[in-house]
Amino acid sequence: MSVTIGILCCHYTNQAGEEDFRLIPGTVIVKRYPCSGHIEVVDILKTFEEGAEAVLVAGCEKESCHNLSGSSRAEKKVLGARKILEEIGLEGERVRFAFLPRLDTGPFMAEVKKTFETALKMKSKS
Amino acid sequence: MIIAERKPIPKILRAIEPYERVLVLGCRGCVAICSAGGDREVEPVAAALRLARKRSGRPLTTGEATLIRQCDPEYLAPLREMAQDYEAVVSLACGVGVNLIADLFPEIRVYPGVDTTFYGANPALGEWQEKCRGCGDCILDITAGLCPIARCAKNLLNGPCGGSQGGRCEIRPEVPCVWHQIYERLSERGELERLMKFFPAKDWRPAGHGGPRQRKREDLQLG
Amino acid sequence: MEPRSHLHRVLREGHFAVTAEIGPPKSADGEVVRRKARLVKGYVDAANITDCQTAIVRMSSIASAVLVMAEGVEPVIQMTCRDRNRIGMQADLLGAAALGVKNLLCITGDHQKFGNHPEAKGVFDLDSIQLLDMVRRMRDEGKFLCGEELTGARPGFFLGAAANPFADPFEFRVKRLAKKIAAGAEFIQTQIVYNVERFRRFMEMAREMGLTEKAYILAGITPPKSFGMARYMKYFVPGLDVPDEILKRMKEAKDKREEGIRLAVEIIQQVREIPGVAGVHIMAIEWEEAVPEIVKRAGLHPRPLEAEVRPPVVVEVEKPVERVEVIAPPKEEVPEEGPPKLEIPVEAVKEVFSTVRSSLESLREGVNLLYDSLMRLERALLGGEVVPAEAPEVPPPEVKPEEVAPPEEIKPEERPPEKEEVKPEEKPPVEEKVEVKEEKPPEKEKAVVEERPPVEEKPPVEEKPPVEEKPPVEEVPPVAPPEGVEILGFFGEYRDLSERAAGLPEELYKDPGTAYIREVEIGKGEKAFRVGGTNVLPFHLFEGEMRQVPRIAMEVLDVKPEGWPESLTKYFADVLGDPGAWAKKCVEVYGAEAICVYLMGTDPNYLDLDAKHAREVVEKVAQAVDVPLIIWGAGHAEKDVEVLREVVELVGDRGTVIGPVVEANHRTLGATAMGYGVPVVASSPIDVNLAKQLNILLENVGVALDKILMDPSIGALGYGLEYTYSVMERIRLAALYAQDDKLQVPFICNVGREVWKTKEAGLPSDETLGDQEVRGVLMEAITSVALALAGGDLFIMRHPKAIELTKTIISGLMQ
Repeated sequence: MSVTIGILCCHYTNQAGEEDFRLIPGTVIVKRYPCSGHIEVVDILKTFEEGAEAVLVAGCEKESCHNLSGSSRAEKKVLGARKILEEIGLEGERVRFAFLPRLDTGPFMAEVKKTFETALKMKSKS
Repeated sequence: MIIAERKPIPKILRAIEPYERVLVLGCRGCVAICSAGGDREVEPVAAALRLARKRSGRPLTTGEATLIRQCDPEYLAPLREMAQDYEAVVSLACGVGVNLIADLFPEIRVYPGVDTTFYGANPALGEWQEKCRGCGDCILDITAGLCPIARCAKNLLNGPCGGSQGGRCEIRPEVPCVWHQIYERLSERGELERLMKFFPAKDWRPAGHGGPRQRKREDLQLG
Repeated sequence: MEPRSHLHRVLREGHFAVTAEIGPPKSADGEVVRRKARLVKGYVDAANITDCQTAIVRMSSIASAVLVMAEGVEPVIQMTCRDRNRIGMQADLLGAAALGVKNLLCITGDHQKFGNHPEAKGVFDLDSIQLLDMVRRMRDEGKFLCGEELTGARPGFFLGAAANPFADPFEFRVKRLAKKIAAGAEFIQTQIVYNVERFRRFMEMAREMGLTEKAYILAGITPPKSFGMARYMKYFVPGLDVPDEILKRMKEAKDKREEGIRLAVEIIQQVREIPGVAGVHIMAIEWEEAVPEIVKRAGLHPRPLEAEVRPPVVVEVEKPVERVEVIAPPKEEVPEEGPPKLEIPVEAVKEVFSTVRSSLESLREGVNLLYDSLMRLERALLGGEVVPAEAPEVPPPEVKPEEVAPPEEIKPEERPPEKEEVKPEEKPPVEEKVEVKEEKPPEKEKAVVEERPPVEEKPPVEEKPPVEEKPPVEEVPPVAPPEGVEILGFFGEYRDLSERAAGLPEELYKDPGTAYIREVEIGKGEKAFRVGGTNVLPFHLFEGEMRQVPRIAMEVLDVKPEGWPESLTKYFADVLGDPGAWAKKCVEVYGAEAICVYLMGTDPNYLDLDAKHAREVVEKVAQAVDVPLIIWGAGHAEKDVEVLREVVELVGDRGTVIGPVVEANHRTLGATAMGYGVPVVASSPIDVNLAKQLNILLENVGVALDKILMDPSIGALGYGLEYTYSVMERIRLAALYAQDDKLQVPFICNVGREVWKTKEAGLPSDETLGDQEVRGVLMEAITSVALALAGGDLFIMRHPKAIELTKTIISGLMQ
């Protein structure tokens, strides 16, 4: 059973490379953005269309966003995506937002793992 | 502007249930301004429809386009060709757009993607309030610019009802009593006698109770 | 000019007028209207017939008016602008005039949002002032609103309007009144006056504007029927001003209804002194019986002129001849003769009755005392076996205050030695936790131990010194061994976690919740208790606290139960079908801490008994016991509203829990509960989100979270228990550990009903399934205990043995 997750993140939240993602026993779709504020609801939905069982949206901690309110906006977008997912019968918890310290791959990968666990749970449910 | 709100995705899904190719058509008029049916809404609606259909095992192909306005024939003209590749159109315009498409292109199956709600203003980000009901016979001159037809729950024309308490409407405490506001505004201006005047029964024909309304301006008509 | 109506004549001749209000029924039962008319006949000059008041559908005002006329009372029909457009209004008014209706009150009407069809399209084609203007022109100019002529008779209505001196903006209220009078109002009925001072100022302003010369102003009067109603009016009725003093008087009054009538009479006397007040309009809401009393005491009886109301010909379609005959002899109750005869006796007789009632009450108490002492004596002389089926438990000492003292004195002396034998180091903490409730069992135990040394259970206790205090508790069964079910308790050694985890840092094993479950008070006064108040998963006392123990209420049915197995009915055989006696037995014999009255008979799909039946049942139970009550409707959203509204009025003052409130009736029942300040049972079909949603909805209508008990709709053992468990557990986890404050509410679990309707509870004894009674008891107790482990706070149960077993286990877990 192959499980896919999607990671939409601000470029500055991590320095994770292929090596890091290889630790995840499934497919990881990674989309990097110059700022998480640029991530739209539709980007999240499209990631699900591409087969992701769960999606992580990661942005910088509120006080360290380059664009001041980029990550706060992204957090709201996640709520918007969640609403649509629930409307079409998917669990809202499939998409989550994480505020992360800048360029620190450790916490980022911890969130990725959590997302993978969610994906596993969702996959086994369906 | 005309305020609308995206329909719940399951309702749209039900309408387009038989089709496999659907065009999601936005409008850059009012619905774009009130964030219900512009370019930014077309994409997620299309994506949500595709995602839901994919999971139900009947994948859907969508086209996405947004017109400058859907309430003018000239802007709608390209639709005949655009729609050829699709079995149906989901219009994110207000009800006016959906109707005009249906009027002009009987062969196109058009379905609404939004609920058209009211004429409103956008006093704060993400919030819209009803201010006018298009009753066709404006009385704002008498009521200090505040409309009791749109903003009083009982459309009263002769002052606040007995449910006005502390400036609030009895319907919901967050709704101000518009008659209380009118009273205060006029008493500040020393024009209270306006309210003492009996306001006779309103003619509701211009409000639409006389049948579908239309307006003509001959000097603009050709031929 | 001829007076337009009897009411007009009374006012014009300068008499202080009295009108009342008749609310038509929510049915096609004309007799209700007729009866209400007969009640006020001779005491009022005219009676208003409301027009779908508060936007709730009722029999139409005009049709009801015709019935009222047939009883010889002059009606004032009301017409709102909410339900008809100008075409419908004019047509109905022509019809009303043709039927002989002479008075019309024009009002805008309550918004449909407040009624039972909030989805309706409100018409509001006209407002009340435009309506007045329209009718005045029909009458005086003979013209329809459109200007067309009426061809023939004109409707000669005496026109009235409403005024609210207590709404805002205050200064505009008199101006609006002037507008109404200018539009055609000849008489005015005001909103209910409680704040006489404000009304006096309003009248002053009206006089200054010369309005009292142009129209007759009748002050609105409503006797509060209960404290709850007064409070409801103060806080939830827009445009009503109820001063704190009125609330205080209602709260402190012993006889609420009497106080309500007294208040009404006082207000009438005060407003009568205000110049320009031409009469009073008495709105005794759903209490028309109070009108004659108020009118008499206010010195307004007899009425000066006799109404000449002739029933309209049209009514007689069914039985024309009879009707005429009925109407002819209204002299039978000629007001001049009737009242004097009745007046004094009614008062005196009432007094006699209340004296007799209270003496009966004390007599009953005395008999109870006697009975109790007799039982004790018998037991002392003959040993515990005397008490047959009657008493597996000694009557709770709280019932008779005098007896509380002695046992408490004895206990402290007797306990210490026993504790010392057992395990001195562990005792102190335990002792602190023990609550009053738990003191009963030890007492019982003592009695048994002393009186029957040869009891078999004693030895084990001695053999196992490390056993905590509890084992003795289980010794109750010897009293009723013939019934076959023995309740055993906890054995074995308990080592405190702190001891077992010695050496480990606390944070490794302690994880208390971040919030507390709210405490909900059940009942009022001495017998009241609280449930909830925990910040940990059930019985995790090592890491947090449970401020309240899980409680158990016993269930009483309003009708004789059908299909209960004999193993259950035998405990109540003598009281089934008599809810009062049943409840009393539960409390006095089985020690119930609360009673749940299940109004099963009101279910439209069962017996469809009416609200009156429910009222009687609850009244009986309320009189029989003083423990907190839970009133559980039939589970029919619509009917429950009707029934619970009726009942709560009776027992709202004692903090009675009402339910089940479901999404479909949360608005109405929520408002009712708020009005009386009572807790509700919020029932949702076993789902975390639905439970939460209902709590949110209730909170939105204003019910505080500490007035809500969640009923997750439980399943019995073998019938979905594990699913219930899981959902309750998830709710509790969300509440305690995920800051989900809308779920921080105690659970109520209706266990008895679910268990005793299962097939297994009723199958006869056989080898495979074992003894019927043991089986049922275990099923009920296991269900309750399992749900207690999931977070259940309050249980409704049926079988005394199952309750005992559950209590034993819970108190064991609470140590």
